[in-house]
Amino acid sequence: MTAALRAAVRPRRPHRRGPSRPSPLIIGFVLIPLLVEAVSVFWPAIQGFYISLTHWNGVNPPTFAGLANYRQMAGDPVFRKALEDTALWLVLFGGLSAAGGLGAALFLQRERRGIAIYRAALFLPVVFSLTATALMWQTLYQPNGVLNGVLSAVGLGGWQHAWLANPSTALYAQIVPALWREIGYVMVLYLAGLKGIDPALYEAAKVDGASAWQQFRNVTLPQLRSVNAVVVSVIIIDSLRSFDVVWSLTQGGPYNSSQLLSTYMYQTAFVNTDFGYGCALAVAIFVLAFGVIVSYLVRAFKESD
Amino acid sequence: MSSYTVSRRGLLAGAGAVGAAAALSGCATATAPAGSTQQGGAVTLQSDLSSPLAEQAMQSLVAAYSKQSKYTVKLNTVAATTYQPLLPTYLTSANPPDIYTWYAGNDADHYSSQGLLLDVSSAWKTMDNYQPALKTLSTDAAGKQIFVPTDYYWWGVFYRKSQFAKWGLGEPKTWSDFVNACATIKAKGAIPIGLGAGTGTAWVAAAWFDYLNIRLNGADFHRDLLQGKHSFTDPKVVDVFTTWKQVLPYFDPNGTAVSWQEASNQLLNGKCGMLLTGTFFADAVPKGSIDDLDFFKFPVIDPSVPDAEEAPTDGLFASSKTHNAAAVLDFMTWMATPTAQNLWTATSSGTVIPANPQATAPSSALVQKGKSMLAEAAQLTQFFNRDSTDALQNTANTALIDFIQNPGKLSSILTTWQSQAEQVWKTA
Repeated sequence: MTAALRAAVRPRRPHRRGPSRPSPLIIGFVLIPLLVEAVSVFWPAIQGFYISLTHWNGVNPPTFAGLANYRQMAGDPVFRKALEDTALWLVLFGGLSAAGGLGAALFLQRERRGIAIYRAALFLPVVFSLTATALMWQTLYQPNGVLNGVLSAVGLGGWQHAWLANPSTALYAQIVPALWREIGYVMVLYLAGLKGIDPALYEAAKVDGASAWQQFRNVTLPQLRSVNAVVVSVIIIDSLRSFDVVWSLTQGGPYNSSQLLSTYMYQTAFVNTDFGYGCALAVAIFVLAFGVIVSYLVRAFKESD
Repeated sequence: MSSYTVSRRGLLAGAGAVGAAAALSGCATATAPAGSTQQGGAVTLQSDLSSPLAEQAMQSLVAAYSKQSKYTVKLNTVAATTYQPLLPTYLTSANPPDIYTWYAGNDADHYSSQGLLLDVSSAWKTMDNYQPALKTLSTDAAGKQIFVPTDYYWWGVFYRKSQFAKWGLGEPKTWSDFVNACATIKAKGAIPIGLGAGTGTAWVAAAWFDYLNIRLNGADFHRDLLQGKHSFTDPKVVDVFTTWKQVLPYFDPNGTAVSWQEASNQLLNGKCGMLLTGTFFADAVPKGSIDDLDFFKFPVIDPSVPDAEEAPTDGLFASSKTHNAAAVLDFMTWMATPTAQNLWTATSSGTVIPANPQATAPSSALVQKGKSMLAEAAQLTQFFNRDSTDALQNTANTALIDFIQNPGKLSSILTTWQSQAEQVWKTA
């Protein structure tokens, strides 16, 4: 719209020579960030893609390998496990942090005395470095740690586990600290969204006799659609890169049982110095993240049209 | 409206295409030739000794060197976890740092085969008194010395003298003695063997694999296995695990859940009886408790196999692209002297043995015992990752923790280990 307007206005401006050109200032504003972006983002990304087509250990010169790394990925049981774990992580972490964040926002949206304390308390985990957070949770999960202590104190001694060392609990045990942090962040996004809803809509709904549930279902949720797009993108990106918590707690172990695509990529590239395969894994993560987000956004925009 | 958008997209696409062309022709992966010659007497020492104690010791070393030399060394300490993945990048860059702290063995040899390391044979001319084993360790496949060892440490089965006295135990010499000692400790209500292969320290489990393999099949087989000359499904490797199974019931049931720091605490507070560990654990031991600590050599299983011990060796190598080889060699020669190594052992934690036999090793009974154990050994190995690669260490972590938790799955674990290892050997 604005571009059309501008195009209509432009010819009327007096020009000394030639057709209308954007001012050098505007060109500068476009080109300089583009250049920075190109050098710092696009170029490395393209190189990463190129490295994924090579065998490279960081020391020898890389040898072109075509799609060999991608073929290897197809037959790699650890990759398959990491893919499954990442999908599980996406569903559990994503679903619970969206639900938890929305729940907390609804609960804390009304202005009461001292409400800011509760909001701050929920947001606080976002502020901590996740590595520090992980150390704290590691202590809780120790075989003689607080969690097992509490379980035995309430008579559930049979539920005790070596939470991070047991392959059947390790992944879930690590989703909890990640959620602990993400919920506060999602809550803030939803709080902002809720503040933006016109109170007149609720008044109108009340006049029409809508119940609290109907108000939520027919006013709040539709009004939050634009925030949802942001939240979903943030959650997907965060869950595909939730590397720090897993790397500090189990490094994907025991025996790959909590391996995520991000930890596997890091391990392959930076511990095993197999940069070719590591970059191929990074490309796979990129395609997944991009695919999921784009398909969501396309759907969301179609709905809003 | 639309024409405006399209032209902007066209511009972006054009810029992208130009970027892609530039990226594919001159890539980050290309190795540029050495740049301008840097004159002057200063060289850089890249160090991964980032713990406060070690960094301080390194600083005083560098200061002492600079005081007596016309050259100066600039110390650049990098966190140990960052150092390892960055090392190939340092070495292959156009203008690399000059000297590096690292370890001897397979890794150094690998870099040397790529022509990245400086020939330090001239420094070795002053090092005739060094053990031949250390010289072999510092020599690459082409026969030139590329490494200057500064110190090494040892692994042993550590225990508390007071606890062993209470349980009426002596130091086990043979495997059956050892199994009996485990049974005794278990009967007394303590955990016989601590492990500490939990959270982030899974690699300590490889000490058990190393020692069982060395004792059963010998150091040569062990090294060949790690280089890919034998398979992990070999019956000799299966033997290692069947022997391990005899003592597995005596391992700490939480051995794969707690870190080695926690495991060494368990040893100190008497919850567990024995711990196979390197001397680095003593860094964190309170001064008073260290006198109660003692160790014995990993028990002999087959007397016909010559004794080999793990003696991880640390030291320095240098980049072949250095612009000041004279200064580098001068510093490395100095680091090989008793003066420098005495300074190092005096200021660091005190459980390492200086590489120069003329240097004064810490006088504690523990260090003297460790030193004589290594001197008597027929062969020295480094450690799993040092004798192979960190990538192979990862495959070992996966296989060994799986075995400790599920000994019944042994044959499938070994098959998986072999296929993962083949992948590593292929990319190396």
